[in-house]
Amino acid sequence: MCHEPTEAEMMQSLDHIIANFEGVEGALIPVLQSAQNLFGYLPESVLKHISTSMKIPYSEVTGVVSFYSWFSTVPRGKNIIRVCLGTACYVRGGKDVLKALQDQLGIQVGGTTGDREFSLEVGRCFGACGLAPVVMINDDVHQRVKPSKLREILSSYQKAGEEVHS
Amino acid sequence: MKISKITSVNQLTEIRDLEREKRDQEQNKLHVCVCGGGGCIASGSLSLKESLEHKIAESGIDVSVKLTGCLGPCSKGPVLRINPEAVIYENVHEEDIDRIVSEHLIKGRIVDSLTWKNVSDGLSFASQPDIPFFKEQTPIVLRNCGNIDPANIYDYIGHDGYQGLAMALKGMKPLCVIDEVTQSGLRGRGGGGFPTGKKWEFTALEKSEVKYVLCNADEGDPGAFMDRSVLEGDPHSLIEGMIIAGYAIGSSQGYVYVRVEYPLAVERLNLAISQAREAGLLGKDILGSGFDFDLGIRMGSGAFVCGEETALINSIEGKRGEPRPRPPFPAQKGLWGKPTLLNNVETYANIAPIIQRGAAWYGTYGSEKSKGTKVFALAGSINNSGLVEIPIGTPLGEVIYDIGDGMKEGKHFKAAQIGGPSGGCIPREYLNVPLDYDTLKELGAIIGSGGLIVMDEDTCMVDMARFFLEFVQEESCGKCVPCRVGTKRMLEILNRICEGDGEEGDIEKLIELGRQIQQTALCGLGQTAPNPVLSTIRHFRNEYVEHIRDKHCRAGVCPDLVRAPCQSACPAGVDIPGFISLTGEKRYAEALKLHRERNPFAAVCARVCFHTCEEKCRRSTIDEPVSVRGVKRFLVDQEITVQLPEVRENAEYAKRKIAIIGAGPAGLSCAYFLARLGYKPKIFEAEDRAGGLLVQAIPAYRLPRETLFREIRMIEGLGVDIETGKRLGRDFSCDDLKAQGFEAVFLATGAAGSVSLGLPGEEGPGVVQSLPFLQQYNIRGSVPVGRQIVVVGGGNAAVDAARTAIRLGAEEVTLVYRRSRSEMPAYDEEIEAALSEGVILKDLTQPVEIIRDSEGNLKGLKCSPVELGDFDKSGRRRPQVNRKKTLIIETDQLIIAAGQRLDQQLIDEQKLELGMNNFVFTDPVNCRTSRDRVFAGGDVTTGPSSVVEAIAGGEKGAAAIHQFFTGEDNVFWREDKIIETSYDPDSDPAPYHREQIQMIDAQRRKNNFDEVEQPWHEAVAIRQSKRCLRCDYGKVCQHQEVNK
Repeated sequence: MCHEPTEAEMMQSLDHIIANFEGVEGALIPVLQSAQNLFGYLPESVLKHISTSMKIPYSEVTGVVSFYSWFSTVPRGKNIIRVCLGTACYVRGGKDVLKALQDQLGIQVGGTTGDREFSLEVGRCFGACGLAPVVMINDDVHQRVKPSKLREILSSYQKAGEEVHS
Repeated sequence: MKISKITSVNQLTEIRDLEREKRDQEQNKLHVCVCGGGGCIASGSLSLKESLEHKIAESGIDVSVKLTGCLGPCSKGPVLRINPEAVIYENVHEEDIDRIVSEHLIKGRIVDSLTWKNVSDGLSFASQPDIPFFKEQTPIVLRNCGNIDPANIYDYIGHDGYQGLAMALKGMKPLCVIDEVTQSGLRGRGGGGFPTGKKWEFTALEKSEVKYVLCNADEGDPGAFMDRSVLEGDPHSLIEGMIIAGYAIGSSQGYVYVRVEYPLAVERLNLAISQAREAGLLGKDILGSGFDFDLGIRMGSGAFVCGEETALINSIEGKRGEPRPRPPFPAQKGLWGKPTLLNNVETYANIAPIIQRGAAWYGTYGSEKSKGTKVFALAGSINNSGLVEIPIGTPLGEVIYDIGDGMKEGKHFKAAQIGGPSGGCIPREYLNVPLDYDTLKELGAIIGSGGLIVMDEDTCMVDMARFFLEFVQEESCGKCVPCRVGTKRMLEILNRICEGDGEEGDIEKLIELGRQIQQTALCGLGQTAPNPVLSTIRHFRNEYVEHIRDKHCRAGVCPDLVRAPCQSACPAGVDIPGFISLTGEKRYAEALKLHRERNPFAAVCARVCFHTCEEKCRRSTIDEPVSVRGVKRFLVDQEITVQLPEVRENAEYAKRKIAIIGAGPAGLSCAYFLARLGYKPKIFEAEDRAGGLLVQAIPAYRLPRETLFREIRMIEGLGVDIETGKRLGRDFSCDDLKAQGFEAVFLATGAAGSVSLGLPGEEGPGVVQSLPFLQQYNIRGSVPVGRQIVVVGGGNAAVDAARTAIRLGAEEVTLVYRRSRSEMPAYDEEIEAALSEGVILKDLTQPVEIIRDSEGNLKGLKCSPVELGDFDKSGRRRPQVNRKKTLIIETDQLIIAAGQRLDQQLIDEQKLELGMNNFVFTDPVNCRTSRDRVFAGGDVTTGPSSVVEAIAGGEKGAAAIHQFFTGEDNVFWREDKIIETSYDPDSDPAPYHREQIQMIDAQRRKNNFDEVEQPWHEAVAIRQSKRCLRCDYGKVCQHQEVNK
């Protein structure tokens, strides 16, 4: 089992990042990007820490975070599910697949399950229109997905995760 | 890699020469370039490279393998090239590695099965310079992509890298550099197209100690990826361009703003910057010139608006990426309030070659007002998708058909969308337009960043506009009201239209809102956001009208308007999944009844319909479409007693007097539907037999007469009276009918006038029009037939005439058509059948003279070969006759099938106005002509069209007459029926392949008029019907399609 850094250690790393940008103009966004890579998301505590350390008003920090879609203030799941709602998938039932996923996971688009296994997002087009409807989980493309097959697909990811942990 | 500092121009040149020498020595040595572009990596080129290296090492041969930038043809990936012969292998998989090594690398034999193949014509090419995709391109920006290793600065230097910078620093004043750029005519490649030299000049003229050079690499347009290709495949060309810009405007610091979604680009650019720094090409005193310049990378964080220059500047400053009002322009007050020059990646990549080779050289490419080249990202329904660089001003058609290898699956080009969410579309009438800034602007599109999405007829233009608007609406930063609220309102209207709740006036509202947003939004994103909508309205207004008025989506895309794409594509709206699934359960009587709900001629259409339903069938995304016509052909043969659908007797309606003129498919179907409502219409038919072209023109070997008469008798059985031998204009007029007390007239006289070739000698013995020729045989039972026959034309009438002539004993029948075979309007299976019966096809041949002897007897037809030129308004290549060459086809009978037109005199006599198409004008909603109580439908209004469209025209006419009498605008058969058949939506598609319809052998069939096609056995038909994917499952359309 690998050593997971404690919160204090991660905060220390964050201070290193901030120190590296000392005196650099416009450093807020690069710092936020590094922070998100470090923590996986941007919790309030991190944002407040960045605000005080960099002497940037908290309102400005959250203003920037909420503007860019890449930043997330909620924890994201281990597995990111992206349902394609490009034209081809839309017509071939991508919407039904999305609804079934929302029902099964009990989350909306942009949400993450309580156990942090899955986050649900929508995509525009993954260029696999002949295989519609398509769902992308992490980097795997699942083709011709039917609502009834979702359970099976999802469980393969949960299992894979458990094996790694055990 | 060890890199030492280069301190002078001479040293740089020495290194270049050394690299060149090394290259020359190894020129004849085998080496492999593996494409490392984003597309090929996604299809597995990295592991391919590893396996290849492994295999080469195992074999003990001396062959180097290099990972290069994008080669271009992404859809063919993974792609690799083997030098020195520049052999391109496409779609290479792990299992091909052994063969490539053992055959090509060891034995020197090209592996034919892996070489490039054109999809359109099947031609294969081995060497890169021969392949049309590459041959037609002019790489300036992509000069090194696919040739050099992007991770090796010496490879770049060896390809004249940093020579442009050297020239600028050594002998040019900054103003001279700017002048050269201005002279070159280079315009911004990011979208706006602003002259680059001007922009440089403005920034250079600003007095400031500190200035910045920025590069916009936030390539956010869905469908554009050329900047990524440069960043990943040739990052030094960007760096060199930026250093030169810094020198020109007097700046010593630059930033590249790259989107976070391009991790590989960031990695390669980072590496390139650090290598350039080590080599002294970035930093202090570059090449000993005393000029300092350095570069940094800033990453975007997923905001499309940051592609706008002022928003990008805000983002680099660490703020929300909202645009600022201009002026002041970035050239005056940009990054941190200092004068700032901002160009995109592609623009900078052009700079070094311009400086090195001169503005005059650059100006030899491109058009009058737009110089140089542009990279386009080809995608969509096109065989070769990928990156192409072409001189500006290249016609769109050439890009699609020559470089792009034509449309996917032989579909028809509908439009190209250029410029992404800020751009517009170009329909097929404009395939000849040169792709340059000004021409595209006139058409309502823009070159933009160069995303070029090719669309076929399966794309709904309204849905497409909505798709882009949804995108900009989501990406709108919200700072200004026009963009934030205006695009929202537009999207709401578009959603409504697509969902079938569009209202009259919606199109005008969209235009008004769109114009306001264009004029009042703060930044480029908002100002261009309405473009996709306005441009589709401009070129495809009809599709909007159909969505709003008819609740019909012709592409079969909008889910709320389309129950199943096949049904939506059927002009008559037959419930195809319904009758197919009933057939699959052997419930034949119900299936036929269901068919006749919308189309009385089940048995006729099983033989002669052009089945657009199959073109839209979704099964074709898996293998091939369901054979709807094959299943139907089996089904109609199972009919023992005629299956009648619901008829609602109505004593009141039965008293109304309705006259129908013409007993063709349109008139008969109008009568059929009126009879089902309880009316008792009367049909007047000019010929001795009812059936129109079905009986007069279509030969019996395609449509046995008993089959046709049985369905006509069925219609008569509903209380329809047909009086034959009554010709409009000869025996009666519309006024007469009125005088006789008819309350409504439905005109369905077809388009019986023939179009002549316009050649001298056409009047005279031996020359006959196809329709009278077929009519005479089909009605009278005999027609004079020559020995050597030439038929001119490419439609079904031409093929029918040719095949009839063969059957009547002609020794030689030649079909002459001026375009290519693939463009013949006749059904492909008919052409195929004609050829196998011995008909000779001479396509690309234009008749120029009819040759007669001194007594006036027909001797031959002089023809000239045709070459295909540019594109005409129908999107087909224009036939260009080469009159210098001629050939004479000997003939004693010439049958002309050049098309049908209206019998003008007849229509003038009846005082009917014509529409835009030169056929009888009718109101598209209520089928009324310009005369009171006279309705019309079928070929007389549409021009020559298909049987099923005539049937649909008749149905529409019946509904219109009913509405005229009663005010009710609903007819009962248009409601979708719920069909109870078993279907498991979770089951896998039935694994059967599409079965062909069998035909009697050509030798046995060519001497008689027996039906050629043979029905399937029951087991085959049932299996074939199970192939249906049941797109209709669980869907009842809320919106009744009112008319189509």
